[in-house]
This record gives sequence, C-alpha cells and structure tokens, in this order.
Amino acid sequence: MHGLRILGAAAVFHFKIAAFTPLANVLNIRMAGTAQLEASDAIVVLGRGGADRDGVLTNRSLRRLLRGVSLYREGLAPVLVLSGTRGETRSRLELARGLGVPETAILTTHEGLTTKQEAAELSQLLLPLGRRRILLVADPIDMPRSRSLVERAGFVVHPAPTAASGPSGPESRLGLVREIAIELTALGYYRLTGAL
Amino acid sequence: MGLLVIVGLVALTSVGAYIVGTRVLALERVSLRPALGEALECLGLAVVFLVVNLAAGLTSIFGFRALTGRFVSVYWLNDLSLVVLSVLEALVFHRWWRPSK
Repeated sequence: MHGLRILGAAAVFHFKIAAFTPLANVLNIRMAGTAQLEASDAIVVLGRGGADRDGVLTNRSLRRLLRGVSLYREGLAPVLVLSGTRGETRSRLELARGLGVPETAILTTHEGLTTKQEAAELSQLLLPLGRRRILLVADPIDMPRSRSLVERAGFVVHPAPTAASGPSGPESRLGLVREIAIELTALGYYRLTGAL
Repeated sequence: MGLLVIVGLVALTSVGAYIVGTRVLALERVSLRPALGEALECLGLAVVFLVVNLAAGLTSIFGFRALTGRFVSVYWLNDLSLVVLSVLEALVFHRWWRPSK
C-alpha cells in the first residue's frame, strides 16, 4: 500500500533527524529558557520518575536532587523542598542528608503524583510559611509546564533547570526526542483541560 | 565520532550484504527496489500499530482513572518495549497479509 510506504519513509526520515542531528539538543535548550539563579525563599526540587522498589532514584530524579543540593550549598536559599512520590521523597531525603544538607533545612511535601498535584502540595506547604519566591529545579524540557503550574499556585518562580545542552549520542537523543514529544503532549493536555 | 562509527559500520555491512546477496545468493539487483518498498511498508505498519497501542493505552488509563478514581500514570506507556512490540506486531501482520496481495 502506497500510504504505508509513505508513512514508513516518514518514520525513517524522522528517525534520522532525531538520532543524527542536534535538533533534540536545540529543543532542550530552548525549552529550558534562561536560568535565574537568584537568592530565594526556598529551593524546590520537583519529582521525576519516582524511585525503584529498592529506593534507587531514576536518573532524572537524582540529577534534580543533586542540582538542588548544589544550589543549597551555594547559599541561594535557606530551605530545600523535596517533592514527588512517597518513595522518591524518602530516598531523596536520605541522600540530601548524606550530602550534608541539615535535616532542619529540608522540607518534604505529601505525595504528589502529577506536577499539578505537586504545585498544590507546594502551595499548602510553603505559602503559609511566607516562602513565595522559589528556585524551581526541573529538567529543561519540563520547565515551561512546571513553571506555569507553580506560578499559578501563587509562587514567584526563578527557574533552575538541570543541565540543558542535552546528550550527544544517537540513542540518548532518541530518548530525549521521545521525552520532548511526551512533554509537549502533556503541555497540550494541560492547556486543553484548563490547568494552564 | 561515535556517530560516524555507527553510520560507517551500517554502511559497511550494507555494502557487504549487497555483495553477498548478488554474488553468493545470486539475488537479482532489480528486486532490491521492491524489497526496500516492502520494508518501508512494514515500517509504516509498525507506526500504525504504535499509534493504536498508544491510543488504546491512553484510553484505558483515563478510563480507569474516571471509573475508579485511582491514579495510574500515563508514563507507564513511556517504554521502549512498546515500540519493539509494535514492530513485532507489524512484522507478523505484514508476513501474514503479504501472500494475499
């Protein structure tokens, strides 16, 4: 069938573009926007992917936590807030303590299964404490949606994306393109449902 | 550099396969073009299966959420195995469908 052949050729074309050109990297950088590393009331590390049953964090979750701890050590905020699923928050809490962040400087939200839920949890936790200006740690591609949701929850957001240049290998680029496609779909869904 | 190695390797083995095909297996050169067309057809079918699988997955997840009120993550669908299985479905379906053409 001619239509299937055209579809197959399009798939090959898109595969080549995604794997062998820097398109994914360009999109990654664009979606990250400009980091605003300014003194804030709190550093918020959003969840990403949870943790395995044995408590091992996903790559992205770990990278976000390390970024948050690094910002804390730079003295950009007095408090580090950990969000995400229960298992993820527990693992991150242990790791942050192990990396030298004092327990008194760590706050955790209750379980937030979606970014929207996390934003609601954050507003319940931080706004009553008067902590309104936050450094938001998220992946570059997640930043536009995360930032909008958290701003809608009442915060003044300073974006602090994790590393933004993106991967250089074909397989990693394909993974990133897949993540970008998912994120753009999520962005569209949130807009359609009025969440953004 | 890694990129060049991968592309170079695939180019090299493709040339090797062409030589083996024409000289050892005595395959006709003219049948290469239709074979490429069939391969693209199969890939197109894989895309169709992938889209259908994703649509079915999303419908099931949102349906489950609506019916039970319990949370199931759509990220469950973010798995490379779904792509591989869609390709397998396409391969089998294509082989099944092809003789009837």
